[in-house]
Amino acid sequence: MTEPIAPAWASAPAPPSDAPPAVVPALQLDHVSRWYGNVVAVNDVSFALGAGVTGLLGPNGAGKSTLLHLMAGLLRPSAGSVLVRGRAAWRDPAIYRDIGLVPEKEAVHPYLSGYEFALLNARLQGVPDPEGAARRAIEIVDLVDASHRPTGTYSKGMRQRAKIAGALVHEPTVLLLDEPFNGMDPRQRLHMMDLLRSMAAAGRTILFSSHILEEVERLADSILVVHAGRLAAAGDYRSIRRLMTDRPHTFRVRSSDDRRLAAALIADPAVFGAELLDGRLAVSTSDYAAFTHALPRLAAGAGITLHEVAPTNDSLESVFSYLVRR
Amino acid sequence: MNAFMPLVGVTLRGLLGRRRLALMLLLVALPVALAVLVRIGGGGRNDASGILDTLVIRTVLPLVALVLGTAALGSEIDDGTIVHLLVKPIARRWIIFASAVVAAGLTALLCVPSVILTGLLTSGLGSASVTTTFAFAVAVLVGGTAYTVVFMALSTVTSRALVIGLVYTLIWEGVIAGLLEGTRFLSIRQATLGLAAALGGKRPGSEPLDPVISVAILVVATVGALLIATRQLARFEVRGGD
Amino acid sequence: MSQAGVSGPGGNIYDLGYQSYDGPRLGRRSATGALFRSALLACFGIGRGGRAKIVPIVLGVLVVLPAVLAIGISALAAQAPGSGGDALENASPVRFATYHGLIVILVMLFAAAQGPELFGRDQRYGVLPLYFSRVLTRIDYALAKTAGLWVALLLLILVPQALLLGGRIFVAPDPVTGVGKEIASVPLFVAQGLLTAGLLGSLTALVASYTPRRAYATAIVIAIFIIPPIIVALVGNLVGDDAARILVLLSPGDVLDGTNAWIYGTIPDGPVVASLALPGLVYLAAALVGIVGATGLTIRRYLTIRA
Repeated sequence: MTEPIAPAWASAPAPPSDAPPAVVPALQLDHVSRWYGNVVAVNDVSFALGAGVTGLLGPNGAGKSTLLHLMAGLLRPSAGSVLVRGRAAWRDPAIYRDIGLVPEKEAVHPYLSGYEFALLNARLQGVPDPEGAARRAIEIVDLVDASHRPTGTYSKGMRQRAKIAGALVHEPTVLLLDEPFNGMDPRQRLHMMDLLRSMAAAGRTILFSSHILEEVERLADSILVVHAGRLAAAGDYRSIRRLMTDRPHTFRVRSSDDRRLAAALIADPAVFGAELLDGRLAVSTSDYAAFTHALPRLAAGAGITLHEVAPTNDSLESVFSYLVRR
Repeated sequence: MNAFMPLVGVTLRGLLGRRRLALMLLLVALPVALAVLVRIGGGGRNDASGILDTLVIRTVLPLVALVLGTAALGSEIDDGTIVHLLVKPIARRWIIFASAVVAAGLTALLCVPSVILTGLLTSGLGSASVTTTFAFAVAVLVGGTAYTVVFMALSTVTSRALVIGLVYTLIWEGVIAGLLEGTRFLSIRQATLGLAAALGGKRPGSEPLDPVISVAILVVATVGALLIATRQLARFEVRGGD
Repeated sequence: MSQAGVSGPGGNIYDLGYQSYDGPRLGRRSATGALFRSALLACFGIGRGGRAKIVPIVLGVLVVLPAVLAIGISALAAQAPGSGGDALENASPVRFATYHGLIVILVMLFAAAQGPELFGRDQRYGVLPLYFSRVLTRIDYALAKTAGLWVALLLLILVPQALLLGGRIFVAPDPVTGVGKEIASVPLFVAQGLLTAGLLGSLTALVASYTPRRAYATAIVIAIFIIPPIIVALVGNLVGDDAARILVLLSPGDVLDGTNAWIYGTIPDGPVVASLALPGLVYLAAALVGIVGATGLTIRRYLTIRA
């Protein structure tokens, strides 16, 4: 099995934008809402995205697809504005030169083969060498063997990759992907993640949605958490974690004398719980910064050696479950 | 416009599904079969205008235009595959125009030969027959285009375009516009018949519309439909739900 | 048997009271009956939202309208002195013999609108395996759905005529003579109703089961009803009566016109059909062949469909 080639342009820097020196964010949403009658699908969401990979995280029904459609100019915002490189996304076909969209629900024309679909996209985009671009895109997504079969015969993962190929033919600076790893096997997923990472490193803006935390944790530089149409959090998830002060941090500590360390820690006002469990010390603290200063000081003062200090609920999963339960 | 031919290509491939094509061929073959029957069984030449008026213009043409017109864009909107055409730096009017050309072209390609065969088989190759046949062929070409484009515009407005189009052609054109004088202007059927009559193809006993008015109706219908469809597609929104 | 709660040193299993069903199960008949009932209700939009009820209600009102109007006129006529009432009644265009001609298009539209729902939805949403992995067989499925459509159409045809019957009985000078006068009509309109519901229902079932896209099925059903009479008329005028006599038997609308005329001993409504003067039994045979053939092909469709 030959390793598919990463495209030369993926590592090439993104073309300079014609925007004025003050950096125009690639994607900007400003108090965007979208409702259908009485149902509010997106509720006053604002954020700006630049180069790098951002994960759009949320449970099913949170409004992820709606947000992606809004950003792709396929839905009109009921309120607020959606700007792509400074231009409004709604009713402006010119923005599609810079955007590639990989929708989740929408099908690919079943009578077209994978290659023909990529070729159609290349021609409609006005790419100078459509056949070459289509072939390259098909190679990137590792669909060469099946590329001459109609997409109606494809498995779900293959259809997904065909859509990605179609979105890559014109080397967009902004790539929007709706649940892109759905139906991919682990090898394809790793390969796709590598591809997206290299594109982001070259200055492109990648936004992908998912409800699977491991994917987001592995790939995204920063996250947007949506829940019931609202933006619950934005940024690097570890920083978000630190902002969650009303939720105790827990640490797992192994030391040369856990019991004495526990007694010393309880005396400190930053700590409000210490528990001996399974040969380890589990410490709960409300103040992350104070605790990180206090722990080595207390240990050194009591003559205890620390063997292991690890946060136990710092994962994206715990961050996420906290955010969507508020 | 480089993107125009690919748009035409993908619309054409979408329309040429096996079942749909077979059904359409069956429909346009009916008048021809009837013409053969009439020629053989009816003993010699006959006036073709009866068949061409009642079976082709009033029945087969609107049905073919309805199926092809609503399927050109409608099936893509239904499936969701139209999204791939919309997220491209192409003005929406080109998508509409490409679909209109393909659908109307296919309608003409199916119906005009049917008219020619029916007319000449029924009435032979005399000059009167050729005149009648030619008149109906042109009427079918122009009227068919109007029908197809109008139904295509309908499919951008509602997801139930086929049924509404059926109601339009059966009830509105079939019953009401025939009865109430004032509403004849709102009937593509009457305009098509008027055009045929102006060129020499008139069913004895019928009172067609004035030729200038007929052409005006057909042109206005076609252009209006194209404008409406472009406007609708420019404001296209995907269906809701996460 | 439910799993009782178990506890041990390392963990616990809790008894949630789940129970499997061990009791008696109703069999194939009951399942088929349930499917038939749900098909019948679906035809009238019962159990679906408001939008699904629009077409059945509108068409339902329209089929009953002539009967209601006729009863009203009869009631007025009965008040007229002398035998003027009777004459008025016989001159009324709304009689059992003419009722078919009045409402057959409405019945056809009902079948065209509701039939594709019955057969197309299950195919489009891929739920046929759920049905076929149950007690009821594929033939049961096809027949239950078709029967549901038949009965729905039958109701649409018979209810207004029953109303007309009731109206006529009670408008008569006394109910007993009324019954005596009108009772003879009952087997007639029931027979024509059965033929109409049977033929329209079977043809719709056939088209709908082969055409999962509902809008196309509706269009095809309407076309089957509307196009053949045009062709028959043209053939009759341009070719000759013999050819027309064969073609007319392929036209469901004309066949039903013919059976109606034969049952009531009147002349068919359509001028072309009337001029052909085929013996009524031929129309009856054509109708029966149509019903059996279409139903058979529908069954064949569901026997061979991949699910």
